[in-house]
Amino acid sequence: MNKIPVLIDEKKLEVDPHRTILEVCREHDIEILTMCHLKGIADIGSCRLCLVEVEGINKLMSACTTKVTANMVISTATERIKKYQRITTELFFAERNHVCAVCVSNGSCELQELGYKTGVDNIRYPHLFPQCNVDTSHPWYVMDHNRCIMCTRCVRVCNEVEGAHNWDIKNRGHQVRIISDFDTPWGASTTCTSCGKCLHACPTGAIWPKAIVQGQLVKNPGMITELVEKRKMRL
Amino acid sequence: MDKRKIFISPVTRIEGHANITLEMNDDGTVHDAQFHVNEFRGFEKFCEGRMYTEMPTITPRICGICPTSHTLASVKACEMIQGIKPTYTANLLRRLMHIGQNLSSHALSFFHLSAPDFLLGYDSDPAKRNIIGIAEKFPDIALRGIRLRKFGQEISERITGKKIHIMGIVPGGMAYPLTEDNRKALLDWIPEAKQTVQLGLNIIKKFHEENGEMVQSFANSPTLYLGTVGPGGEHELYDGKLRFMDEEGVILNDQVSPERYLEFIAERSVNWSYLKYPYYKSYGFDNGFYRVGPLARLNVCSRMKTPLAQEEFEKFRQMNGGRPVHGTFYYHYTRLIEALSDVEDAERILNDKEVTSLHIQHHGRWNYEEGIGSSEAPRGTLFHHYKTDETGKLINVNLLIATGQNNPSMNRSVLEVARQYVKGEDIKEGMLNRVESTIRCYDPCLSCSTHAIGKMPMVIELKDRKGNLIRSIERY
Repeated sequence: MNKIPVLIDEKKLEVDPHRTILEVCREHDIEILTMCHLKGIADIGSCRLCLVEVEGINKLMSACTTKVTANMVISTATERIKKYQRITTELFFAERNHVCAVCVSNGSCELQELGYKTGVDNIRYPHLFPQCNVDTSHPWYVMDHNRCIMCTRCVRVCNEVEGAHNWDIKNRGHQVRIISDFDTPWGASTTCTSCGKCLHACPTGAIWPKAIVQGQLVKNPGMITELVEKRKMRL
Repeated sequence: MDKRKIFISPVTRIEGHANITLEMNDDGTVHDAQFHVNEFRGFEKFCEGRMYTEMPTITPRICGICPTSHTLASVKACEMIQGIKPTYTANLLRRLMHIGQNLSSHALSFFHLSAPDFLLGYDSDPAKRNIIGIAEKFPDIALRGIRLRKFGQEISERITGKKIHIMGIVPGGMAYPLTEDNRKALLDWIPEAKQTVQLGLNIIKKFHEENGEMVQSFANSPTLYLGTVGPGGEHELYDGKLRFMDEEGVILNDQVSPERYLEFIAERSVNWSYLKYPYYKSYGFDNGFYRVGPLARLNVCSRMKTPLAQEEFEKFRQMNGGRPVHGTFYYHYTRLIEALSDVEDAERILNDKEVTSLHIQHHGRWNYEEGIGSSEAPRGTLFHHYKTDETGKLINVNLLIATGQNNPSMNRSVLEVARQYVKGEDIKEGMLNRVESTIRCYDPCLSCSTHAIGKMPMVIELKDRKGNLIRSIERY
């Protein structure tokens, strides 16, 4: 397949067409921040962290859903992008009830890591402090909506990889919530196979195993990517 | 502002602030005293709805001085819910961490907060009556005190990687083992730590000799005592049974499992403090005041577990002819005897071959709906009591904190000291410091958290019998 030329952060690259900007950047060790992206499941461009500037287009484009075209000129780390990334990160923290100090995921959390990367040392927006349910009805796992950032990785991995489609979404705006089946307790689900893929896909401490306490949680989202790759190869 | 109105300062409504109200008789003597704690934390309520396994992570945040005690009480409650016990090595490591925290807290209480009164004098310049003043005049003592505290915190750090708000004590045991290098490094601290504690003992004993009358009479009111003891009645901090003792030294209840605490202890709220009033149930609210902490632990126990501490313990017990010692001032002395026992016990544990074993955790899951755990925090016996639904979600949390249990006695001690030192309407700074030092004897959490440099933010109010404010002194 013929390669096409692109310019990313002033670097001239010859890349495969039909690839997303995110894929191209990751292949060439150009850092792009993401939360809703998980290699192996469909990209939806919802977290707005992977925004890049494309010459000739006034609005910022999400790298995970925008494909490269010939002679595209892309910037990934401008001040404008950094500003929006920090705003987005702060809004994640302001929207639900994130308390890293007592979170089971403390030290192994993608949101926490994102906070460090974007330089968040305070939240400039009023916290919403919503009253969120902690669903402990599943015998092995907990779903804590206080810590959910609505990346929907759990929804997609359950649907696309496990094929169970236990998880889905209800409501809109800041009332949006992940639901199990038709908004029933997770433990009463007739579709959940208890496979635990949603737990590994979850970037925060929203889904975690009951038997685990802080300092012991190890999530392995790469396992899902590997599983998808192996299936493609029919291993 | 109309000075006839009762003044309750909103400025003090944060952690670590206290108010004292003194009610005066017409002849200028003190009629009554109230020690107000204006902090509201709400842990018992906002933990409802969380998984019980989160409690060992949430509850240490109650206090930055005794997080290990909270974690231990919490994991014990979790283990009761799961129906499991920790491994032998995990118990050793937990004991070691608890010793570290106790040493660190006792070193802070004695060398940083209280020693300025002993070494510089109660009426010395308030600006220098703190650890900085000690460092200027007695640099070796200040440095040793700081290093003893460092040793205590290093125990936690070398096991879990963190000095405070540790992670790693988990239901069923420990998440991290102790490496051989860390074991050796901690053992190297022991000789210095022993010397420092003995230096502290010399300071307090010298002060006793020079101020015998004041030490004897300082808030010397008989109360009941509660502490944890081992199977043979020996001094115990980590894992044992409860012993209640009356003011004459009669053991009221012995070898009481901590799970039965509610059979013996009740709580009552008062409308002028957020701190509840626990009391010994069968004696009723008016007569059931009891004390916890180092003084209580050494009053109730039959012996210490280590030789040097036992020697000091015997001297302590002779002070009141073998009966309980009631003088509040002796909290300092007993704190140091405990610190000596801690160092000796740490040495024993670090020499145990099993302490570096990798068999550190048993695994369990939710089995029972109720769990109760206790441990001896530096300030006294601590209880965590959780009730869950059938999924492990907490539906009720009761935390009985050591400082709360000392609250009625602190009130009484403040009254006694106020009656002794306050005459008329003119409150001198020295009086303020003496009242403050009464509270400091108990080393309450509100003191630890805000009293870092020798002055506790405090409001003292002087009122007549009708409740009219005569004068208010504020210090922040």
